Amino acid sequence: MKRKNLDKNPFSTPKGYFDNLEDNLMDKLSKETSRIPENTGFTVPPSYFDNFQSKLNAKIKKETEPKVIQLKSYKKFIGIAASIAALVLMAIGIDWNPKDGIEFTDLANSDIENYFENHDLNLSVDEIAEVIPVDGMEIYDFMDTPMNEENILDYLNENVEDLEELNIENNE
Amino acid sequence: MIAEETLVKELKSKDTQAHAFEVLVSTYKERLYWHIRRIVLNHDDADDVLQNTFIKVFRNIEGFKGDSKLFSWMYRIATNEALSFLKQKTKKLGISDVDYQEKMVENLQADVYFEGDDIQLKLQKAIATLPEKQKLVFNMKYFEDLKYEEISEILNISVGGLKASYHLAVKKLENYLTQD
Repeated sequence: MKRKNLDKNPFSTPKGYFDNLEDNLMDKLSKETSRIPENTGFTVPPSYFDNFQSKLNAKIKKETEPKVIQLKSYKKFIGIAASIAALVLMAIGIDWNPKDGIEFTDLANSDIENYFENHDLNLSVDEIAEVIPVDGMEIYDFMDTPMNEENILDYLNENVEDLEELNIENNE
Repeated sequence: MIAEETLVKELKSKDTQAHAFEVLVSTYKERLYWHIRRIVLNHDDADDVLQNTFIKVFRNIEGFKGDSKLFSWMYRIATNEALSFLKQKTKKLGISDVDYQEKMVENLQADVYFEGDDIQLKLQKAIATLPEKQKLVFNMKYFEDLKYEEISEILNISVGGLKASYHLAVKKLENYLTQD
């Protein structure tokens, strides 16, 4: 084809089309020969998509409307609630068992474990290493089930952006 | 179809917002629904999550800076909403993610909105065994036919990482489906 004709080519392709052509082609080919079905089998109720807009509008309207609070109906409970609150405050205020204060030994082990489980302590790896002796510890001291190769590959695949950064030597 | 930039502009203007939002919903409702449905599996849950997604889009459109495409931004919201929904469910039921997924797949057999055959049911069982990222990437690439670049923008994962995840997922699913 003459250069002149190429310069006059009026057609264009989407950005990156040729860069991805190979990958897309391979994916399509593997899809055609795959045992994986091309449909999931999920369906929706009849007219679901036709009615979706009006259902959504109604929900947005409901959420943006200010809620009306019926103060009147609570009136009779205010006195009761105030009495209960006063009793609770009095009960809390009375020191039933005078003591100097709570000692560390007063805490149950389960309370301490719960605290560690439910609070983010923001401890760095170095800080943990300073207080926990690692000599003589095995990986399975921390894990209930042994890891298999597939789990490790899944973990790396999920959590490591660039596998090459790990500098794993292939010893196979 | 209305240009994305115009649509965003109209969504941000009080005068044109209502109409633009209708256009947005009618353009994306089906694609987002199926994306969510493949994550949560059940129709009613997918409906809830889809509504919450559009409500979030509606409320936060002012903050949309246009750094990514509107489509990618909405997909990201839908994905996060669906995953948060699953997390809330597992927390409420006090079971692990894997147990919840297994339970949901078992429920499909009695679901009136699942008309899959044995192989499609087996596929859902197989997908339930995949780690979260592989599951998302597989669904988005295989069923939704999104390009790696689009998935990369939605999930904020490099194209290389996505390709690795996708091929690993396909391999595992093929193996699962060829088992008796």
